[in-house]
Amino acid sequence: MTDNDKSRNMLGSVMVIGGGVAGIQASLDLADSGYYVYMVENQPSIGGAMAQLDKTFPTNDCAMCILSPKLVEVGRHLNIELLTLTELQEVEGGPGDFKVKVRKKARYVDLDKCTACGDCTKVCPVSLPREYDQDLSERKAIYKHYAQAIPSGYVIDKRDKSPCTNACPNNVNAHGYVALVSQGKYKEALEVIMRTLPLPGVIGRVCPHPCEEACRRGQVDAPVSICAIKRFVADQVDVEDLPMPEITKRDEKVAIIGSGPAGLTAAYFLALDGYQVTIFEALPVAGGMLRVGIPDYRLPPEVLDKEIRAITRLGVEIKFNTALGRDVTVDGLFADGYKAVYLGIGAHGSLKLNIQGEDAEGVMTGVEFLRKVNLGELKDLKSARVAIVGGGDVAIDAARSARRMGVENVSILYRRSREEMPARANEVNDALAEGVEIKFLTAPQQVVVKDGKAVGVQCIRMELGEPDASGRRRPVPVEGSEFTVDADIIIPAIGQTPESKLLSDVTGVSLTKWGTIEVDDLTLATGREGVFAGGDAQTGPWIAIGAVAHGKEAAISISRFLKGEDMKTGRERVSLPQENFTPIPPGTKPTEREEMAALAVGDRVGDFREVEQGLTEEQAKAEAARCLNCMACCECEQCVSACKVGAISHLMKDENITLNVGSIIAAPGFKAFDPKLYDYGYGKLPNVVTSLEFERILSATGPFQGHLLRPSDHAEPKKIAWLQCVGSRDTHHCSNGYCSSVCCMYAIKEAVIAMEHSKIPLETSIFFMDMRTTGKDFEKFYNRSKDEYGVKFVRSRVHSVEAVPASDDLLLRHFSSEDGQLREEKFDMVVLSVGLETPPETVDLAKRLGIELNEGRFAVTSPFEPVSATRPGVFVCGSFQGPKDIPLSVMEASAAASEAAVLLAPARGTLARKPEVIAERDVAGEEPRIGVFVCHCGINIGSVVDVPAVKEYARTLPNVAYVDENLFTCSQDTQEKMKEAIHEHKLNRLIVASCSPRTHEPLFQQTIKEAGLNRFLFEMANIRDQGSWVHQNEPEAATEKAKDLVRMAVAKSALQQPLAEFKVNVTKSALVIGGGIAGMEAAMALANQNYPVTLVEKKGALGGHGRKLLSSWEGQPVAPYLDDLVRRVESHPLVTVRLNSEVKEVSGFVGNFRTMLDGEGGRYEVNHGVAVVAVGAHSYKPKEHLYGQSDRVFLNLDLDLALRDGNEMVKQAKSAVFIQCVGSRIPERPYCSKVCCTHSVENALRLKKMNPDMDVYILYRDMRTFGMREYLYKEAREKGVIFVRFDVDRQPQTELIDGKIQVTVIDHILQRPIVLNPDVLTLASAIVMEDPEELAKLFKIPVNPEGFFLEAHVKLRPVDFATDGVYVAGLAHYPKSTDECIAQAKAAAARAATVLAKDSITAGGVVASINKDFCSGCQACLNCCPFNAISYLEQEGCCEVNQALCKGCGTCAAACPSEAITLLGFSHMQLYAQIDEALSA
Amino acid sequence: METEKKFEPRIVAMLCNWCSYAGADLAGVSRLQYPPNIRVIRVMCSGTVSPHHIVHAFQRGADGVLIAGCHIGDCHYIRGNYMTIKRAKFMEGLLNFAGYSPERLRLEWISAAEGVKFAEVVREFTEKIRTLGPAPSFEASPRLATAVL
Amino acid sequence: MKTKIKKLLEEGRVDGFFAYKTIHGFFFPYLFTKENMDELEDWKPSSARYPIAKLLLAQARKNPEKTYGVLVRGCEERAVHELYKWNQLDREKVVMVGQACTADLAADCECWKPFPTDVAYGEAVEPVAKSARVEMLEKMAGEDRLKWWLGHFNRCVKCFGCRDVCPVCFCTECSLEHNKLVETDKLPPDSSFHLVRAIHMGGRCIDCGLCEEVCPANIPLRVLYKEVGKLVEEVYGYKPGSDDGKSPFTFLGDELMLPPGPR
Repeated sequence: MTDNDKSRNMLGSVMVIGGGVAGIQASLDLADSGYYVYMVENQPSIGGAMAQLDKTFPTNDCAMCILSPKLVEVGRHLNIELLTLTELQEVEGGPGDFKVKVRKKARYVDLDKCTACGDCTKVCPVSLPREYDQDLSERKAIYKHYAQAIPSGYVIDKRDKSPCTNACPNNVNAHGYVALVSQGKYKEALEVIMRTLPLPGVIGRVCPHPCEEACRRGQVDAPVSICAIKRFVADQVDVEDLPMPEITKRDEKVAIIGSGPAGLTAAYFLALDGYQVTIFEALPVAGGMLRVGIPDYRLPPEVLDKEIRAITRLGVEIKFNTALGRDVTVDGLFADGYKAVYLGIGAHGSLKLNIQGEDAEGVMTGVEFLRKVNLGELKDLKSARVAIVGGGDVAIDAARSARRMGVENVSILYRRSREEMPARANEVNDALAEGVEIKFLTAPQQVVVKDGKAVGVQCIRMELGEPDASGRRRPVPVEGSEFTVDADIIIPAIGQTPESKLLSDVTGVSLTKWGTIEVDDLTLATGREGVFAGGDAQTGPWIAIGAVAHGKEAAISISRFLKGEDMKTGRERVSLPQENFTPIPPGTKPTEREEMAALAVGDRVGDFREVEQGLTEEQAKAEAARCLNCMACCECEQCVSACKVGAISHLMKDENITLNVGSIIAAPGFKAFDPKLYDYGYGKLPNVVTSLEFERILSATGPFQGHLLRPSDHAEPKKIAWLQCVGSRDTHHCSNGYCSSVCCMYAIKEAVIAMEHSKIPLETSIFFMDMRTTGKDFEKFYNRSKDEYGVKFVRSRVHSVEAVPASDDLLLRHFSSEDGQLREEKFDMVVLSVGLETPPETVDLAKRLGIELNEGRFAVTSPFEPVSATRPGVFVCGSFQGPKDIPLSVMEASAAASEAAVLLAPARGTLARKPEVIAERDVAGEEPRIGVFVCHCGINIGSVVDVPAVKEYARTLPNVAYVDENLFTCSQDTQEKMKEAIHEHKLNRLIVASCSPRTHEPLFQQTIKEAGLNRFLFEMANIRDQGSWVHQNEPEAATEKAKDLVRMAVAKSALQQPLAEFKVNVTKSALVIGGGIAGMEAAMALANQNYPVTLVEKKGALGGHGRKLLSSWEGQPVAPYLDDLVRRVESHPLVTVRLNSEVKEVSGFVGNFRTMLDGEGGRYEVNHGVAVVAVGAHSYKPKEHLYGQSDRVFLNLDLDLALRDGNEMVKQAKSAVFIQCVGSRIPERPYCSKVCCTHSVENALRLKKMNPDMDVYILYRDMRTFGMREYLYKEAREKGVIFVRFDVDRQPQTELIDGKIQVTVIDHILQRPIVLNPDVLTLASAIVMEDPEELAKLFKIPVNPEGFFLEAHVKLRPVDFATDGVYVAGLAHYPKSTDECIAQAKAAAARAATVLAKDSITAGGVVASINKDFCSGCQACLNCCPFNAISYLEQEGCCEVNQALCKGCGTCAAACPSEAITLLGFSHMQLYAQIDEALSA
Repeated sequence: METEKKFEPRIVAMLCNWCSYAGADLAGVSRLQYPPNIRVIRVMCSGTVSPHHIVHAFQRGADGVLIAGCHIGDCHYIRGNYMTIKRAKFMEGLLNFAGYSPERLRLEWISAAEGVKFAEVVREFTEKIRTLGPAPSFEASPRLATAVL
Repeated sequence: MKTKIKKLLEEGRVDGFFAYKTIHGFFFPYLFTKENMDELEDWKPSSARYPIAKLLLAQARKNPEKTYGVLVRGCEERAVHELYKWNQLDREKVVMVGQACTADLAADCECWKPFPTDVAYGEAVEPVAKSARVEMLEKMAGEDRLKWWLGHFNRCVKCFGCRDVCPVCFCTECSLEHNKLVETDKLPPDSSFHLVRAIHMGGRCIDCGLCEEVCPANIPLRVLYKEVGKLVEEVYGYKPGSDDGKSPFTFLGDELMLPPGPR
């Protein structure tokens, strides 16, 4: 490190992007070694793709079982801050000191309050596909990501505002009430409407519903009948039956002029706010235009009256026959004590025709006519002839009303054609059906007047000319086409205007040039303080819902005005984005839109009965079910009422946060390839699924609860095919030329698991190109799948998948790679083994991070710094670095953690939090005094179990000194209550009867710890997860069970003693065994974190096999890197290199090892806290293929040297042959050596480069150029390297004939032998282990049957041993390439650092303990301990537990014949007591 | 007329903390319903359950004993459950030879993801025990005399 | 016998030797040392059996530094082997001299190996492959078997003779006296007494039958333990007493650590 680096500000915190298994591992390693970690995850919870898997290969472990403890650990870690739903925005700064901006999306659920009880989900009306199940099952809009999710709280899926709601001028939550109707929750639906609209039945009838225009269902078939649904809700539930809202009365009086929709709405909301509201209405009836402008057959008066009553019952008073200007004035109102005035006078004036005779008797405007009809002022029109001028709704209303008044002869005169008519089409149709005649292209010229009375209209024909400003074609009179329409009543209905003369004497209120009232756009305030206006009077004639919107907005302004608040804050009009909606499910089938029944035409004339009859319940539900839930959450807020702890708020906002971190680790993971582009029917044929979907189908938590069923008909499949390389090794359908590395293994795994799951015999076939089972124990798994399970492997390219006609089965056409034949085969199901790819959003993330991606869109790294991104201080791991499996991801994650730790070594511990130390009360001598808290968990327990009865029962139990019940025992205030109870009642043990100790024990343990009790004096009775939730219909039995569980807990608790946790000091230095690349890298990674390292090498020099390697597979030369590494190791002040040395004795345990080395200068002792085993492996020296018999036969490593040294024989060679799998993948060595395919391809390319004319053959079994190495394979084929495949039982034959090499191999396609005479023969020989036994014994670490060291867990602990403090790296673990060796070495260092970073290790707690008096020294316990925690004391003749090593499984306790060993916290006596109490009732 | 009280099986279950207890919790989270006859004792590993505990449960009147642990290979403690499987087989044989139905002892592997399986196992086992009837007493009976072999 | 054991004692190969001595016409187990080696007798075939391994164990515990010789039958040799494996006896500190059992005794015992590995005295006779008593019980219906056993257990007086005589009952703390497991103040004890003891015999009982011989109530204990032995062999692949290098700790499950090296 340069001085410059040192001077830079170093922060002891790291940001880890991605909460998958790689991100989790990196975070835990860093947090465990003294750094503070921000874990940024864009999903609502962590776990990533691994959480979706059923089992993991090659051990078939349950993915969730092994992952879930890690999730919990992350969730609880003091030094990991989880930022879910969060995305990185911008990065500034450099290594050691980055400034990172992130955006955290609102969750709408307060995680501190949410108890994950699930009550919200039950009431949520919106069902959506569950992403976790790959859309194969459903979830609600408020949901838990998956059962074991961390954070365990719920989340609301909320997208952009639903188009319907957004399109409504009043933003009535259409989505909300439609969703509730779909669930039959009509009352709740009405309540949602009433939040913004107090006139649901009215608007549900008269609204021209712009919502439906916006409805996305229209993209599928036709919009949802939203308006009719609203009317249905209003018809279904009596608005007067809704509970009276609680209103806090206020003194201020507000006057409202006009009882139309604007005035009524303003009155409603002001009344809800507690104001004293009086409406002044000029007419003798309330409702304004709703009453006198809309005919009764469209809006029955009783509907309006009812809704007005619902408003007046809030205390709103209406003064009838009181007109502004005539009976009251604005000044007068203020003088009478009104504090604000709202002008909602409507637009009751009409535009004039401005033609001759317009003032004659018999001429009246549409508005006037309708008012008279509605007020019953017109009678006996039967003999009249009516002509109406205009083409809008008023004209139609007037015409249809006239028909209902008994007028036979009704004509509408309209100057344009049908297309241009502004009236709603269905209204026009109805009018025509009811016998109204419409004369199109007819313009009135004058009223024909006789005796002062109108007798007709003189008209002229029109024709359509050029479009005018409105876009409609302008009508042009046709010369000489005049004619007369006879009429007694002539009704111009060409437009309305406010009666502005009413306002002429209101000072301070000004009008626009159209005669409307001028107001502030946002607040609707007029120029005069305290006077507001809205509705048609302000907008000009508009739809009723517009007036409602104004009334509502004015109410807000008035309320704020009267409270002295700013009227504008937060009301800026923003246009909401309308992009992010729930996708329209691909399989959405068009359905017929339900229409309302209508009164028969014959029944309409002469009668004002309502025409439209409303939807039936069945229709309404069917319509509601058509909703696509665009916004996901419909904001009905049912969840808010259901949540007993008040955790939900729909008002939460997204947050922008800036974080300062020293380093960034990016592990955003992959996306499974979308195979729609392939001809495999995906998306169309339901039984063609992706591998990830199949994982969910197999999973016990999946859509079919783990029953193997196919999606189309839920039948059990009998034959399943897997198609490999879908979206991998393919540059035709996609640009993924790389191999995804994991698909071969997961396909085999899925086939095997499917066969195990299937209740009926299942045939499985895997269609593949090359079987790439390169990892540890993968080849054995492959072999077992063939030999033991009978999975069929078909080397073939699949051409297409089609439906078998008239069935759900699938026909698969494929070309065999064996013989080139086209074959057909029928399957019940096809699984597409989709590849891994970097999704566009991650590409975008890379841009924001400022790091480069390679041609496969994976992060660019170098082989010698495999986890370093191109931006210094930024590290990458997992499938973002390149497609890979879980163990490699985990390993890289640890490596990335190591790099970050090295970078930030000076700042270690500066930001990490330390747990608080609280003094513990000594309760040893006390009699047990147990406190029992029984939880209602809202209604989760309380509604099934009789909680008070359980509490009272607990009171009767021995040693119980205190009982209580809580609504939510886990809430923060209850923790305080519990602490108080402990002090007040001198409790020394505590029991909570509630949920599961797995989720809540740590919380309560912390509580009693804070109250001064040893945390192990806490016990739980699980009466929810294993009680009320599983016996919902048996309340009595559930109550009895709860009592039993409490009794059992009390009995156990009484026997519980405080458990000691103590510290064991750590020797802060490491021993690294093996001086190859892995050993040196591990040593450097530790020394650079300031830990002294002793590096032991058997040989006389450092470097190992790396010395023989020419280059990395990507072509970078190894020698310069290696020389530099050796130099750095040798010159590092903290590294002691011991050459020619070997480990002879090992004693001690994690943190405290003592090792004896034999080496130059004799024997010496090393004390160390950790050890890394990196002893390497060797090349198999073949006995076959003339090795050693001819100097023309090479191993790949030899060829490397020959090429480097310019070996003449190689240079001159005309032909070269490589034979793969020499010593690998054979019965005695059933593993793949992983690196040889790539190495041969690499050398083949070198030969071709040196001599393009050289014939180069590679004889192989499967080309295993996994990951990006596939590009190399592709290049080799392009450069003319010839690949010939052979079978394991038809090995190439090599002979020496006259000193020349002859290789004979049977070509598959040609089915005949090919004879080759190479000048150079290269054998890709196996990597083998030599003598690992001694070291294995010394460190008590296991090796597998092939001699490779066996890690603690192949998936999640790939560099750890079961023996704590010992780690593995490099080839000693398994064959691997240089970059992997380096990553693994760094990973081992990271894991080791988690020990060395601590001053001491905490031991004790739940561990085994031996009563030496009872021990016979038989050593049964010692032999069954998997952690070597028990030792035999020769002197005392008995055994002893090393509590620092004990992990508390208790298997030893069960093995001890004398019960001399017991597991503290789960002692024999406690188990007996629990058994006794379980059976004592 | 007094009717005899219906037989309700009394079942003691010992579940390992990491898999089966979590599976039982998942059954709850998933609201899967099963008979309330089971009384669960949480142990750290199924390997913690000793033959003594099994004998003790039967001696105290258990009609059935369920032991559940992680699937083979999934053990949190590497191979605690290897011990369990053999112990359970041994105990079944011993109980059988002593005249106690081995079906009253049941060993199941239930993972943390197998809520459904847990509910099914409890349902099935409870029904099984119901058909077997109350477990015979451990009391030596003076009424029974057996000739010495 | 005289000469052979004398030689062992004289040469200092052993500090003491457990054989028998005739007292009042009965064979009694007896510890011969250099001091009393003249009292050694000539070997005679007999059916007399005694807990010689248990006596050896007691002496070895008292004098861990001393080496003892012992005259063993097949079953006694098995007991000694088992005690080695359970870390109760040191293989280096025991010298066994074998005697074969008579055909009558072998038949009575239904013994699967009525002779030690090296037979110094007597002729090895054919082992008995199957136990007729076990087979008889296996054929019984479960309910009848239970009645049968309860009838026998009914006679138990809880004298602990079975335990006290047992050569492989080496525990310092006995579960039969564990109040939670076996109620102390209950006579006759319930099945748990016999089941717990049977469990403890799993992986240990070498089928000598002394328990049944000493039982004052004539409870056919050996049948129960023979079944236990059968189960252990089936389930664990372990046969207590055999010197086949197998560990009794397979009784605890599979090997816990894979042995190093290719397999």
